Amino acid sequence: MKRNSTRKSFALLLAASMALMVMLSGCGGGKSASNVAPGNKNTGDSGGSEKQVTITHYTIDSEDRTFIEKLIPDFEKEHPNIKVKVEKAPYEQFDSKLQTLIAGGKSPDVTSHYGYGGFAEYYNKDMLLDLTDLIAEEGFKAGDYHIPDNLMKIYTVNNRTYGIPVNMYVTLMLYNKDMFDAAKLSYPPSDYEDKSWTFEKMVEEAKKMTLISDDIAKTQYGVDFTWAERDMRPLYFGAEPYSEDTWTNGGVPSETHFDSPEVIAAYQKLFDLIFKDKVSPNSEWSKSVAGQNGDPFVAGKIGMSIGGSWNLAGANDFPFNIGVAAVPWGGNDKVRSTLFVDPLMILKDSEHPKEAFEWIQFLLTTEVQEKSIELSGGNPPVNTEAAEAYYKHFDGIDPEDVKKVYEGAVKYGYESYNHLITKYSQINDMFINELQPVETGHKTLEEVMPVIQKKVTEIIKR
Amino acid sequence: MSTVKATSPRVPTSHSRRKADPVKIASFITLLITTFLMLLPLFFMVSTSLKSKREMLKFPPTFLPESWAWSNYTEIFDTLQFGTLYKNSLIIAGLTVIGTLLSSALVAYGFARYRGRGNQLWFALLLSTMMLPYPAIMIPQFVLFSKMNWIDTFLPLVVPAFFGSAYNIFLLRQFFSTLPEELFDAGRIDGCGELKMWRTIALPLSAPALATVAIFAFIYSWNDLLTPVLYLSSSDKFTLPVGMASLTSSRFRIPPWHLLMVASVLAMVPIVTLFAVAQKQFVEGIVLTGIK
Repeated sequence: MKRNSTRKSFALLLAASMALMVMLSGCGGGKSASNVAPGNKNTGDSGGSEKQVTITHYTIDSEDRTFIEKLIPDFEKEHPNIKVKVEKAPYEQFDSKLQTLIAGGKSPDVTSHYGYGGFAEYYNKDMLLDLTDLIAEEGFKAGDYHIPDNLMKIYTVNNRTYGIPVNMYVTLMLYNKDMFDAAKLSYPPSDYEDKSWTFEKMVEEAKKMTLISDDIAKTQYGVDFTWAERDMRPLYFGAEPYSEDTWTNGGVPSETHFDSPEVIAAYQKLFDLIFKDKVSPNSEWSKSVAGQNGDPFVAGKIGMSIGGSWNLAGANDFPFNIGVAAVPWGGNDKVRSTLFVDPLMILKDSEHPKEAFEWIQFLLTTEVQEKSIELSGGNPPVNTEAAEAYYKHFDGIDPEDVKKVYEGAVKYGYESYNHLITKYSQINDMFINELQPVETGHKTLEEVMPVIQKKVTEIIKR
Repeated sequence: MSTVKATSPRVPTSHSRRKADPVKIASFITLLITTFLMLLPLFFMVSTSLKSKREMLKFPPTFLPESWAWSNYTEIFDTLQFGTLYKNSLIIAGLTVIGTLLSSALVAYGFARYRGRGNQLWFALLLSTMMLPYPAIMIPQFVLFSKMNWIDTFLPLVVPAFFGSAYNIFLLRQFFSTLPEELFDAGRIDGCGELKMWRTIALPLSAPALATVAIFAFIYSWNDLLTPVLYLSSSDKFTLPVGMASLTSSRFRIPPWHLLMVASVLAMVPIVTLFAVAQKQFVEGIVLTGIK
């Protein structure tokens, strides 16, 4: 009896304390809600006669993306009825935060595919607003912003436009001038029309710069070939792993050919760089020299590095002299470079698409694109007029070379698969995992490629 | 086996010091080597934090900085609004610790000392919440907090701690169950209420368990990245992990490792301090309960 009553009183106490907690937290909630409210209210009803709205631009929390914050004052001066808020997340959490925001009814208005997922993934998840009517209504012409027409086509599906390009990265070759000088080699050409600059020639030169020693500090390699994502690399040699229809129906391929002899032969050529010609480092060596997300080229251990033009952005900090060159010809007459074109997109749940489109147009003007190069520390603009300023941005590199490399890359470029193929983050993860044993020399391509072919098919069907 | 035999008879005759014990020396050397190996990454963290941007890229890496870049430690405050982030993290982690200790200790006390109908069931239900991975509740929770207008405030990061967490409740319940019933009987005879017994008998005797829970709660909140990323959107409300993640966020730049190491060194300070303080509690607690 006694126990029972103590239990009751204790239960009562618990309940009371719980209630207190709820009240306390409720108070806190009310307080902070009022802290937040003024901002919302301002945007809601103040601002004079014109209705004021706030749009949200969701981006990656890194200096080369959040620079847009510095552009907002100018924009707001021109458009007093629109306020812009920047919402950001670190790269790794970009996709999960975006999904949560949309599911939680707090969808941002403007964003790009800056996370792991690409345009096709967003498109197939029905996250994007069809901009076609807005474009017509606003009289938007790509030409007015010096955006090449072929770039506009990338984010157009069945004649409906879902994204407007804003930045364009290409594949290019960076080379270590000091290593070329030491090996008494002449620098590779930046002209894409120079027919002597082939994959085989590159291997020859790489051999002359490679030095493998027991002393890890002395070891250096001639070339590191990281042309595009892994699944795209066969294209460089002219082998096509995805069926043609992929590019016309929202990024869903009806067939893939990762186990075809041509594709396997293409991969073989790349892995021969490591295991047969021994002019490229294996992934273990690269990691030990440059860490998990480092680049051994930056440590001055690689003569030539084929990679995205974002590598140029750090060029001013490299502890050696660098140059840019054309990607050598690998057997595909049409494709030598990858284009990584980042679009700005309006999300379907946006409440103010018209104002969001105003902001996008502002970001594309020549003046703002030129300013963005400096503010971002070297983001390449799509606006060809602003691009002239980009070519001059890098210390010690001839702007003429950068220009030639860029123009050649656009002429011989193919839009990166990661923007075009559905469920790309899963496909990419699978590729990294499955190719790992080949990269370390524990398995052969003949063993691995049929498995990859099977898994790609499964992922696409899922 | 032989080592046990060799050492155990020595315990009572340990007055005969001066005599070098080979087992002791060997274990001392092993410990010394392990300590050195364990401290090596820590050493590199501090060393890198004092290197210049250029030196950081060098291979093979230098052991000690060639020129000591003490300015890194001021630069971090300009790059990251480090002070604000640090303050935010401290506030959130501090409140989380208070909340976790209060709520978990109270609930655990209830579970440890009272038997009622469905007691086991409730406890099993509580433990089952541990099996839900965070991503599974992420979106519903976001919707809930968003409806409560808590987005971009510290509340979603702090308030849940005031409602207990299964793991900590379990840990404390196990500890409370070991406390002898006689103590509470004595308290009852002296006319103590339940809450007073919780406060004056159970809690002081549980210092080691409470210290453990405090450390867990602090470290969890201090390191948490995903929740602040989801709920906070103004830069001046960000926490330390969010700011530090942004340093490596660019896919296009070489991460400023030297600054990241500065941030890591400074981020370690509260954890080391807390551990040092709590460790004392730990030992005291053992001494106290040892008397019995």
